[in-house]
Amino acid sequence: MTPLATAALVAGYERDLPIIKGIDFTLAPGGFVAVLGPNGAGKSTFVKAIAGLVPVHSGALSLRGANVTGLAPHELLRRGLAFVPQTENIFATMTIRENLQLAAAVLPRPARAGRIGAMLEMFPDLAHRSGALAGGLSGGQRQMLAIARALLVKPQVLILDEPSAGLSPKAVGQVFETLVRINAAGTPILLVEQNVRAALKVAARAVILVDGRLRHDAPAAELAGDPEIGALFLGAGHGEGARA
Amino acid sequence: MMIPQILLEGALTGALIGLGAIGLTLTYSILRFANFAHGELLTWGAYLSLSVAGLIGAATGASLPPIDPFSFTWALPVAGLIAMLLTAALALAVDAALFGRLRGRGASTIIVVMASFGASMALRSGLEFLYTSKPAYYTTELQIAMRLPAGMRATPDQLLMLGLTALVVLAVHLMLTRTGIGRAMRAVSENPALAGLTGIDTRKVIRVVWILGGALACAAGTMSGLLVQIRPYMGFDLLLPLFAAAILGGIGSVPGAMLGGLIVGICEAFAVHLIGAEWRAAVGFVLIILVLLARPSGLFGRAA
Repeated sequence: MTPLATAALVAGYERDLPIIKGIDFTLAPGGFVAVLGPNGAGKSTFVKAIAGLVPVHSGALSLRGANVTGLAPHELLRRGLAFVPQTENIFATMTIRENLQLAAAVLPRPARAGRIGAMLEMFPDLAHRSGALAGGLSGGQRQMLAIARALLVKPQVLILDEPSAGLSPKAVGQVFETLVRINAAGTPILLVEQNVRAALKVAARAVILVDGRLRHDAPAAELAGDPEIGALFLGAGHGEGARA
Repeated sequence: MMIPQILLEGALTGALIGLGAIGLTLTYSILRFANFAHGELLTWGAYLSLSVAGLIGAATGASLPPIDPFSFTWALPVAGLIAMLLTAALALAVDAALFGRLRGRGASTIIVVMASFGASMALRSGLEFLYTSKPAYYTTELQIAMRLPAGMRATPDQLLMLGLTALVVLAVHLMLTRTGIGRAMRAVSENPALAGLTGIDTRKVIRVVWILGGALACAAGTMSGLLVQIRPYMGFDLLLPLFAAAILGGIGSVPGAMLGGLIVGICEAFAVHLIGAEWRAAVGFVLIILVLLARPSGLFGRAA
């Protein structure tokens, strides 16, 4: 069953100002899709609308065939959709363990400790300092904690908004390696990235958004070799943008 | 008067202020607005305790003896517990009728704060209408102050209140740091959007905050009514010290609110003895100004 699909999705912060202007999109089981596009194309708004953070004006969102349009983020999480925001994606004033305990609260009580243990095993960097405040972590470790928090609930779909932003090249490599591992284990991933080269290396498929509409949808390898795409994006820097 | 006695008197006022300030600091940090109607929750709590105690007295045939060595009968603690539930219900009702609607519309903070001013006036006037402005009392029993070490004197009621406050503060602190709902409250306070993405239902957390804030306000109001008197303006008059304590302790910090309350209470007591009783109210202002100048995040607050 299709883990995630949108049909004619129109969304935006203001009622009369749609930023996403009708997107039909499906994420296949086990898929790994990169959402690319120039600054201001609406990439972040698209995934935020899917996660329940930006109001959907019209159209539909479905998870495994069930219509979930208009649900709040906490309800979407319980239906299997986990979202890792670009910034402020951990609770800095709490310990690493507390961050994971918060996420585990949606699981049945007997399952909680086991899943927290599994995440700490998967991210050994976090395990040996689980009592430390999350605010003291480096950028790469924060991203790992944010991913662990999202993964802890065994989501049906994992969505990440520019997980490489602001990270050192080494940390970017580690984050993407982790995503590949997660996807290989069966979790479908939807990834928004400014870092087009890196995204096309890990994703199987990529969609390109321009002005709130879906312009291209192709296998990642094909796009990586397309000179037109190269001219469009690969010259562009890794600047902040595309937030609105 | 001797310094230990001034400290004790300050601690008594301060404990009440701290208890009220806990609810204020929680609503401030989680709902993100300064609730000027919080003082009225104290007052309503005090009057609800009075009414429920009166009903219990009427039902049991008003001839109960006071619980030795205290000044009140067992009707008051029972009434206090019931009134805590009623005050929590009142706080939820005000949120459903007013603040919740403004939140749903995405109203700006200043609108919500102004609405809380309105709620404060309406709740206070309601009490004056129902109970008149004449002071009321839970008991007319006289209490003799006991001699304590270091030349201090206090009534059994006062000592009981200090002990109860310490227990309540400890319980709230443990709840916030050790339980799932406490963690969820801290999460919403730090980042409501991320809390939602982590699976926390912020509406449920907000309900818990009102229940807790209302119940604690009722406890503070009832204790204040027992030690001083019950008046429709009692909570409103405490509002400035409550804010001073919450800001001094750092918005969102329960131990901070309690310590802030004690500092405000003790400063007030010294001001009364050293400068004059008419300067008591100025202490809260001076402390707020000093904290905002020197350390805006408060004693236990995190930097914004």
